[in-house]
Amino acid sequence: MPGPSPHKPRRKAKRAGGNGPSNLPVIMEREALVRIPSFPLAAFLWPARSSVSQWELLPLILMAVGLFRWAAGLWGYSGFEKPPLFGDYEAQRHWMEVTTHLPISQWYFHDLEWWGLDYPPLTAYHSWICGKIGSLIDPAWFALYDSRGSHDPTLKIFMRATVLVSEYLIYIPAAVIFVRRFSRLSGVPAWTSSVALVAILMQPATILIDHVHFQYNTVMLGFVLASMSSMLAGRNFWACFFFVMALGFKQMALYYAFSVFAYLLGVCVFDHTNIPRFNIPKFIGIALATVVSFAILLLPIVAGTLSEASRGITAHPGGAHPPLPLFADLAKHLNTEAFYYPVIEQLVQMIHRVFPFARGLFEDKVANFWCAMNVVIKLKQYPAELLQKGALVATLAAIVPPNLILFLRPNKHPGLLPLAFATTAWGFFLFSYQVHEKSVLLPLMPMTLLLAGRQGLGKDTRAWVGFANILGCWTMYPLLQRVDLRVPYTVLTLLWAYLLGLPPTSLNAYFQDGSSIWSQWATAFIHGFFYLTMAFWHVLDMFVVAPKDKPDLWVVANVGVGAAGFSLCYLWCLGSLVIESEILPPSWTGKEAKTKSE
Amino acid sequence: MAEIYPSLVQCAIVATAFKVLLFPAYKSTDFEVHRNWLAITHSLPLWEWYYEKTSEWTLDYPPFFAYFEWIMSQVARLADPAMIWVHNLEYDSWQTVYFQRWTVIVTELVLLYALQMFVDSTPGVSKRAAHAAAVSILLSPGLLIIDHIHFQYNGVMYGILIASLVLAKKKSSLLASGLVFAALLCMKHIYLYLAPAYFVYLLRVYCLPPKLSPRSIFRIQFFNCVKLGGGIAAIFAAAFGPFALKNQIPQIFSRLFPFSRGLCHAYWAPNVWALYSFMDRLLISLAPRIGLPIKADALNSVTRGLVGDTSFAVLPDITPRMCFVLTLLFQAIPLIKLFMRPTWEGFIGGVTLCGYASFLFGWHVHEKAILLVIIPFSLIALKDRRYLGAFRPLAVAGHVSLFPLIFTPAEFPIKTVYTIFWLVLFLMAFDRLAPAPTRQRLFLFDRFSTAYITVSIPLIFYCSLMHGIIFGKSYEFLPLMFTSSYSAIGVVGSWLGFMVVYFTE
Repeated sequence: MPGPSPHKPRRKAKRAGGNGPSNLPVIMEREALVRIPSFPLAAFLWPARSSVSQWELLPLILMAVGLFRWAAGLWGYSGFEKPPLFGDYEAQRHWMEVTTHLPISQWYFHDLEWWGLDYPPLTAYHSWICGKIGSLIDPAWFALYDSRGSHDPTLKIFMRATVLVSEYLIYIPAAVIFVRRFSRLSGVPAWTSSVALVAILMQPATILIDHVHFQYNTVMLGFVLASMSSMLAGRNFWACFFFVMALGFKQMALYYAFSVFAYLLGVCVFDHTNIPRFNIPKFIGIALATVVSFAILLLPIVAGTLSEASRGITAHPGGAHPPLPLFADLAKHLNTEAFYYPVIEQLVQMIHRVFPFARGLFEDKVANFWCAMNVVIKLKQYPAELLQKGALVATLAAIVPPNLILFLRPNKHPGLLPLAFATTAWGFFLFSYQVHEKSVLLPLMPMTLLLAGRQGLGKDTRAWVGFANILGCWTMYPLLQRVDLRVPYTVLTLLWAYLLGLPPTSLNAYFQDGSSIWSQWATAFIHGFFYLTMAFWHVLDMFVVAPKDKPDLWVVANVGVGAAGFSLCYLWCLGSLVIESEILPPSWTGKEAKTKSE
Repeated sequence: MAEIYPSLVQCAIVATAFKVLLFPAYKSTDFEVHRNWLAITHSLPLWEWYYEKTSEWTLDYPPFFAYFEWIMSQVARLADPAMIWVHNLEYDSWQTVYFQRWTVIVTELVLLYALQMFVDSTPGVSKRAAHAAAVSILLSPGLLIIDHIHFQYNGVMYGILIASLVLAKKKSSLLASGLVFAALLCMKHIYLYLAPAYFVYLLRVYCLPPKLSPRSIFRIQFFNCVKLGGGIAAIFAAAFGPFALKNQIPQIFSRLFPFSRGLCHAYWAPNVWALYSFMDRLLISLAPRIGLPIKADALNSVTRGLVGDTSFAVLPDITPRMCFVLTLLFQAIPLIKLFMRPTWEGFIGGVTLCGYASFLFGWHVHEKAILLVIIPFSLIALKDRRYLGAFRPLAVAGHVSLFPLIFTPAEFPIKTVYTIFWLVLFLMAFDRLAPAPTRQRLFLFDRFSTAYITVSIPLIFYCSLMHGIIFGKSYEFLPLMFTSSYSAIGVVGSWLGFMVVYFTE
């Protein structure tokens, strides 16, 4: 039964303004003519197409996604009953213990063997707040030394609640605002953007890592989203501030740093019509905003260290002054007794903790280029310095093209921003040094945002975004199964695939009318191959024991397939970015561009 | 007619994902009860089922449910053989939990099928409303809390009930409707509460002549009577026959109807007796001032109103006989109207009112029995805005009254947020879908309903959060009493409202 009044495309088209593409109304009319939802998630929001205000729909969406998050949290977490060191959960809990009980100048120095603090200061402040609140409920949860490895079930509920509340305070508002603004700028109707919002919030990888396996990635991702949203709104100072906060919460946000830099620089250099006109006051303003943001970030720890030093509390309760961990030469030029020395020591220690330069190229099995290469050539035989340089060169080669485009076309259209962020993050994930399998969340986040853009829920984008997400979850399966999280993995991944009409539940994201038959078959064939491989891998993993001399065979296979698939995602993002930015002469990409707009 | 979205199957798939995620959630002793029944039916001969008492959770459902457990136990053996040992008390390996939780989800397919029948049986214009009602039942927070967290098999049984109600819609399937209901009675005897409405309706439209006049009243449809009577007899024989051979019927009945229990269940179901108890409590403090005598022994009883026998300090005690008479009385009143004007909607209303009467006045009523009212009512709640007006406080009160069933902190957000989600979604959707009534609306009743729903917010807030902060672990009965009295007002109010709607129809 068709709805009484489908959305009114004309109004939105007008609002999209002059810089919207000329074919926009045509697309919208096509969408309006569709009378049946093309995938289940659209069916769920179908009754809200007409006349339901966004303010009625939004609370329902937030409640529904919250329920899934909390229910997933009923399952176990990383390191549950896995002594001696337990896992991420214990790390986060331990930081609450450390920050609430020790003077601020000792946070980065305390017993580094047991989950020493190795995240930037905002995480430490966040731990402090959570720890203070938790101690009001039950001081035993965070008792110094005695609480290590605690598996109190009520503590688990509290910890889960801190993840959920942090997410609802930062990530979710940022996502809601970003999606609204992004959709409006891309000329997407409000109802469609609500569908995209649910798809983004139900992203299985994020729920699995944060709410099941346990971490606070969404806080960092939320700050990045807020920063992107500010960029779209033209509030560059806020963009700086939020991005510094993201960096200050988790150094992993560096994956996006080049894109942030490229965009902000591009905005200073090019005006709205892409004519180079270097806007120096704007540039200085942005630089100042960044400095001020860092100052705000470091203020508590610097001020705390100074005030504690004046009261005789030092970072080393024992009294000795060990040499600085990094920049050992620096110490020669400094007076270790000067009033500012504790601050220097503090900051150097923080950098040392946050950036573990001394670790290897990769630690565990990660689906990136190096780990996959390692199967063919044993990389460990080469000197570490060579590998570091190789990683640097490869990463730069991967991230320069997207950021160059973003720099040259910062105002071309809003879709470029998430595309460039995704491409850059994929580049980092695939080629950089010291990657963790959970880092796949970073490229997935901006890539999934594409769903809210122009034609985001069309088949092509949906197929690729879906492919990246499902492959991403699949590469995290070895991590999740180690702590018996197969059921939430299966449920959340299949649910998302089902909602978006993706394999293995449906083939509806492939083969649409209008675009070239050749590219359709290519996409379907490549994706089909990967989906079949994933399914086959699960069967192998479940029923066949890996050979004795190669106990990691299945994990290695997972890594190889994952790295190949992620490389395709990188290429797709880069390709889309090139086409969308129209940076190449139209004759080069003309044919493809036409295909895409249909 | 194009499909209405989201379809029932789509809702069921997403709901299943959510229910699977709830596997590790809190489960009540009912989980062990059903595990024990799996063990009893699997490892003992039929004749010992109703005598076995190794566990305190003896088999106290009618034989069809026992057969149902027997069928499931055939699969349970493959999942984890240890689950079906009678002496393996309190056994809950992860296989057992997965298996039992899955059986609830799988058997709920009956409900899905019945709801699809209901939607398909509804003609054109009201199909959209019927679809909304069906989705609301499928996603009911009552079923989620009771079946998928607390643990029971209501989904399958309410599915059978709805199938039977829908079958009663068409003249050709009236017999099937009666027989399905008889089978349901042999599965869970709580549905006896609804039996009077069935009796009256089937008697009137299936057994008596269509046009009732003083002359024709004896021209009964004899062949129909034989079919119905014979069918019901056959079903009861299939259920109880094997036990009757060995003279076990008295033993079964002593299990099915344990009259030694008190007036109110462990926690007060939100019915008239909850209000009565609440009054009694108030009167204890007021009695000395107005000079009423207080029964000292009742006052001293520590367990007052919470466990076992309820005795009242000021008000007169209630006997089972009084409950029985009141229940029958308030069931009979709407059934007279049903007898006079036997329409399908009147029948559903009659079933609903039978549920109301037995819930409000019954002896030892369990709060879970509120589904007996909510689910049949949902089928006609969207008939027009007057019906919806009566349904609204029931939807709030009925579901809020289930909250104390789940008292663990981990499940607290689930039960509250899910219920609020459901209430916001469906009360909003129902508001848009219910057509304007043909008759005058009850002006004051709508106001009552709005005010009532508003009060629920501070109440939930107080009971779940503030009470713990203010009083800690003491006065634990207080939030329970508030919840049940509040819910009782809602249920009684909605009952009175629906009675008026029913009789002015």
